Amino acid sequence: MAAKELPLSKDFFKGFWKENPVTVQLLGLCPTLAVTNTAINGFAMGMATTFVVVSASTLVSIIKRLVPRQVRIATYIVIIASFVTMADLFLAAQFPAISKALGPYVPLIVVNCLILGRSEAYASKHPVHRAFLDALGMGLGFTWVLVLLGIIREVLGFGSIFSLKMFGDWFTPWIVMILPPGAFFTLGIIVGVINYITGKEGSETTCH
Amino acid sequence: MEVILVFLSAAIVNNFVLTYFLGICPFVGVSKKVDTALNMGMATTFVMTMTAAVTWLIYHFIILRYNLPFLEYVAFIITIASLVQFVEMFIRKASPALFRTLGIFLPLITTNCAILGLALFAVLREYDFVESIFFGLGAGAGFTLALVIMAGIREELELADVPPALRGAPITLLVAGLLALSFMGFAGLLSV
Amino acid sequence: MNNKILKMVIVLTVTGIFSGGILATVYRVAEPRIEENRLKELKEAIFIVLPDTVDYKEIERNGTVLYMGLDKEGNTTGYAFVSEGPGFQGKIRMMVGLNKDLKHLTGMKVLEQVETPGLGNRIAEEDFQNQFKGLQFEPEIEYVKNKKPEKPNEIQAITGATISSRAVARAITKDVKRVVKILKEEGSGS
Repeated sequence: MAAKELPLSKDFFKGFWKENPVTVQLLGLCPTLAVTNTAINGFAMGMATTFVVVSASTLVSIIKRLVPRQVRIATYIVIIASFVTMADLFLAAQFPAISKALGPYVPLIVVNCLILGRSEAYASKHPVHRAFLDALGMGLGFTWVLVLLGIIREVLGFGSIFSLKMFGDWFTPWIVMILPPGAFFTLGIIVGVINYITGKEGSETTCH
Repeated sequence: MEVILVFLSAAIVNNFVLTYFLGICPFVGVSKKVDTALNMGMATTFVMTMTAAVTWLIYHFIILRYNLPFLEYVAFIITIASLVQFVEMFIRKASPALFRTLGIFLPLITTNCAILGLALFAVLREYDFVESIFFGLGAGAGFTLALVIMAGIREELELADVPPALRGAPITLLVAGLLALSFMGFAGLLSV
Repeated sequence: MNNKILKMVIVLTVTGIFSGGILATVYRVAEPRIEENRLKELKEAIFIVLPDTVDYKEIERNGTVLYMGLDKEGNTTGYAFVSEGPGFQGKIRMMVGLNKDLKHLTGMKVLEQVETPGLGNRIAEEDFQNQFKGLQFEPEIEYVKNKKPEKPNEIQAITGATISSRAVARAITKDVKRVVKILKEEGSGS
């Protein structure tokens, strides 16, 4: 048994690259595209999602034996929605500006397939410490891609990075980058480049 | 008149998929064949319209009346999940033929962010009951439109020589960017 | 079988009660802070559009909320109100200041907008907002393109964003007239 188990570090690090939720599994595309017009928004969304996925996975793993199979999804959804509400209230109380910028995309974390996916496919079958590491890795893997997208779009679209001006007056911002088309182009290119590096032929989303 | 504006705005000018990025997962995943896309779109539109009506009632008669704003998200997602289940059972009983075309898509709809997004946006924009229903219809129509256009393009892409690394999702995202660009041409249409 | 159903019901009920209870507690802690943030934002906007104002009083007349600005001695400095209208892509909400004689505007600040970045969203820039200081609104607020405004009721539209500029002018014209009417009726009544 012990010999077959993966080392704990694998649980944690697989979310960063090999099983990255955005670039490999193409999960949670809606917040990935919607809020990444600046790096700070991408970071805030990544952190909020990480909080929810880690809390939900940990709790699901703790109570996994108590929940009958038929009501599993219903219970998980209530748990996830509760953590999302907490994250939303926290942001509105402590960081009103960020809360306003993310708007309804914070509550939409509820339906981010990444979270229910981790609870269902991993946390409900693994011990607590593994579920925790797995969720943390996935959350941080999600976050770095959002920040990268945010940086690319902010640099080209506003000429700044984390709101610090990068270029002189000669620079004309590519407004399209901070508009919806820019989000699609940037993510499409990032996924393509990563596929090229890893030698993968195309990719499909694992959630519908 | 107002309701027609709400409908057109949700369907075309502020298309759910191409400007709000709602329902991207099925958009990338399911849009491979035009008729599948059309069926998926219709099932979603149906659930969206029902959701718009039911969540409006819940929001106004329970959440606002008893001052429970912190239960908004939990209440909405439970409503959507139950509604999808209910619609599935109803269609299975009422029309087995329809169930065969729409059935496989229904369970996927619960986690479609376009549905929860619809309920949240309707609250944010303070729509009344009738406007909410038209908002649901419009959002569904917009989703179907985007899905069908994309499926049409992807059927053609099958024949194209796409670089291996871009096959599947990446090329779909790039094409979606071009679609979003062209849909931006509708902006300002309804503002006057 | 019955046992199973019972277990399902218990699990769902317990989850529901726990979630409701915890959220109610979190909400009770967070709510005052959220309200405070909202009030702070409102107050800042009122003080920007009504110069020399240090305090305000909220008054409501047939469903319209007005903020009466007060200076250090407690004298009325003018009236502020929220104006909104459809913009290029979505709703534009603004705080507008009106002088106490109800003759001209004293300022405008955009509260919410989703106009095109780099074009329409420049309505939220100081240069554009400052044009509303001292602007007259009779017979209505007009806009001119690519030249300096000449009449006291004209603003210069932002280049490339005529629709957003016009939306602002129209929304304010409509709302300011309603507010003036309310305040005049009150004045003649008392």
